[in-house]
Amino acid sequence: MFKKIATVSLGCLLAVSSAGAQDFPERPLNLIAPFNAGGGTDLLLRGLAPHFAEAIGGDVFVSNMAGGSGTVAASALQGQRPDGYQMAYMSVTVSTIQPQIKNVPYGIDSWTPICSVAASPTMLFVNNDSPFQNMDDVVSAVKEKPGEYVFGSSGPGAITHLTMVSAFAGLGIIDDMKHLPFQGSGPAIKELTAGNIQFFGDTELLMKRGDFRPLMVFNKERVESFPDVPTAAEVGIEPPLNELYLWGGLFAPAGVDADVTAKLEAACEAAIASDGFQEFAANSGTVLNYRGAAEFDAFYREQYEANAALIEAAGL
Amino acid sequence: MLSALPEAISILLSLEGILVLMLGTSLGIVLGAMPGIGSTVAVAIVLPFTLTMSQAPAVMLLLAVYAGSVYGGSIAAILINTPGTPQSAATCLDGYPMAKRGQAGLALGWATVASVCGGLVSAVVLIFAAPQLAAFALEFGPIETFALILLGMTCIVSVSTGSLIKGLMAGMLGIFLSTVGGDPILGEMRFTFGNWQLFAGFNLLAVVIGVFALSEVFIRASAPISNVSELVTFSGIELPRWSMWRGRLRNLGKSVLIGNVIGVLPGTGAATAAFISYAEGRRSSPNRAGFGDGEPDGIVSSEAANNAVTGGALVPTMALGIPGDAITAVMLATLTLHGITPGPNLVQENPTLIAAIFAGFFIINLLLLPLGMALARVAAPVLRIREGFMMSAIVILCALGIYFVRGNPFDLLVMGCAGFIGFLLRRQGFPMAPLVIGMVLGPTLELTLRQGLILTDGNFLAFFTDSPIAFVLAIAALLALMIPIVRNFRTSKKD
Repeated sequence: MFKKIATVSLGCLLAVSSAGAQDFPERPLNLIAPFNAGGGTDLLLRGLAPHFAEAIGGDVFVSNMAGGSGTVAASALQGQRPDGYQMAYMSVTVSTIQPQIKNVPYGIDSWTPICSVAASPTMLFVNNDSPFQNMDDVVSAVKEKPGEYVFGSSGPGAITHLTMVSAFAGLGIIDDMKHLPFQGSGPAIKELTAGNIQFFGDTELLMKRGDFRPLMVFNKERVESFPDVPTAAEVGIEPPLNELYLWGGLFAPAGVDADVTAKLEAACEAAIASDGFQEFAANSGTVLNYRGAAEFDAFYREQYEANAALIEAAGL
Repeated sequence: MLSALPEAISILLSLEGILVLMLGTSLGIVLGAMPGIGSTVAVAIVLPFTLTMSQAPAVMLLLAVYAGSVYGGSIAAILINTPGTPQSAATCLDGYPMAKRGQAGLALGWATVASVCGGLVSAVVLIFAAPQLAAFALEFGPIETFALILLGMTCIVSVSTGSLIKGLMAGMLGIFLSTVGGDPILGEMRFTFGNWQLFAGFNLLAVVIGVFALSEVFIRASAPISNVSELVTFSGIELPRWSMWRGRLRNLGKSVLIGNVIGVLPGTGAATAAFISYAEGRRSSPNRAGFGDGEPDGIVSSEAANNAVTGGALVPTMALGIPGDAITAVMLATLTLHGITPGPNLVQENPTLIAAIFAGFFIINLLLLPLGMALARVAAPVLRIREGFMMSAIVILCALGIYFVRGNPFDLLVMGCAGFIGFLLRRQGFPMAPLVIGMVLGPTLELTLRQGLILTDGNFLAFFTDSPIAFVLAIAALLALMIPIVRNFRTSKKD
């Protein structure tokens, strides 16, 4: 009973305070995927959109604006009116890394973060027939034969690249190794299978694509599915290089009205908590990670600063 | 997996299975035939519908649209000289001249039979040899791919109708256009002048549609009024008679083989296969003298190869979990959404599903023949529309398709500029196919060259001394360049 009263009165309070944004949304909301239709980000957004629409009580449509590792969509969105009708799903790379390595028209202060949706730690892995059982093996092998071993990435500045940089710069052996960038994780995984590269790093979902063995995980603690795989900190990698997440969330242009932000945030939370989306996430191997607007804003800014150190180490 | 085939076939022959196969293939043909909407877009259009379907039909729908659209591209290429996608650009070279001669129905007939043969053989190969071929794909690292692309680049010589020098210049322009945007190794921006719209480079589809379709519209618009009624006459597909195949079967077989092999190698794709096969046909076909003037072997070379790629591209996708191209990547994502992790164990863990996919793929390719003929009949009256309306419709369709792909108005500007520059170049006798080859192959050539140099510590010679495959391919490329020169030399000596 008390709970009900509390909810109702809280609802009234919100309704009063948000008189200006009461009618939001009056027209359909647009969720922008900064990548091609059919990619991981696109599918995630298309899975989220119907639940988001239900939660906000309006229409929601997904559009794609691909190109430039996501920077084309972000650059186009940053100048738009901050009315909350347009949001892009941006990953850690689009929002915190690309603006620090490219001359894009957006930066740390260009956005109103709405909510985070997903976050998966990355793992470093090798082929299953590789002689390396742990990172100590790797360090001694690389020191013995400098310039011999090659690590891959899905492209310069991608999260896969930063995973490799965190690992090998963190262990002080990056200068003795070669970096071979590919266009996307698929080709890199193929070359790991074929043996042209010895190391690669991506999320658990990608790791399971092949017959691979993880050597460490860039998470705060060990992950449930691989209890024997040590964290980067256990291997001896110092912060801020020891934690790395492929995270993403919804961003609107900077300056969205606080009431509108609150509405969007609430809709996002309800959509992520919905049974339908939970099932979708379980099927697609998405690790959900909801953060509200204020928390996400703090997290995003902290990541932006932390990744500056990584970019420096990667020589980008 | 073969033991799961009966159960798989029962899934396919259910009402849902048949509907999905028929509708998917038809939709694919129609979308492929529309200029500007390529295979990738066609597959993306139907993607949302698969979310509510069960596993096998979902993948089947995507496959049907994929195979249908690759075939459908030939319809627009032959009838209106507008390749819907880069992969049917090579079909234009002989298909359109043949259509202009009044043999549009027969040209489409050749394309249809070649497509069906290519697709069917690739389906059989997929069913019986996927694991072996996947192992072969692993042999192709960056260095081997570089050598293959090098061989592909020699196609520029054989598609340079008119002037070889102008062809090479167009090819260089294509390669140059492909270097705009992010550097694939260092990530730095090249030739963008600080304009973020160019960070993604020039959109390949926008340029292809511009230089082929839009420039064609400009050329027609600038032609004297007496030529206006020159649209092709077409009343339906006319299949080539058996006797016509005399002396052409070898070329068909070769093209199917080229398509299959190239399809298996990740990172190459249908456009590469079609051009390499076309060049090979031009080199070795007994009818090579007529290439470029409406020779059926030219159509067969291109269409058999690009349809054979569809099955080939599924090999690494299904056997290794590695997408062969952008479209198979979408398919992998769909599998993931349905709770299936693609990877080396996919076949063992889901034998019925994989058997259904493979058998379905075979049926789809069989369906191409009747559905293609039926749909082309529907398309026939459209061609009788007055040329002015037709051309306006082409412009609108191209623009819609281009805008749809990336949602970026800048791509429309690129298409317009490419059309205008293509118009000027074509009037000066520059062939456009080399430009497309340069733009399609350029990025892979650059990426694999630089990857190879990283692997060999900057020793270019080591590419060929360390890798026998690369060595053989490089010799083949050299021969492909030398043979026409030697031939010309001999004929001029005789005279």
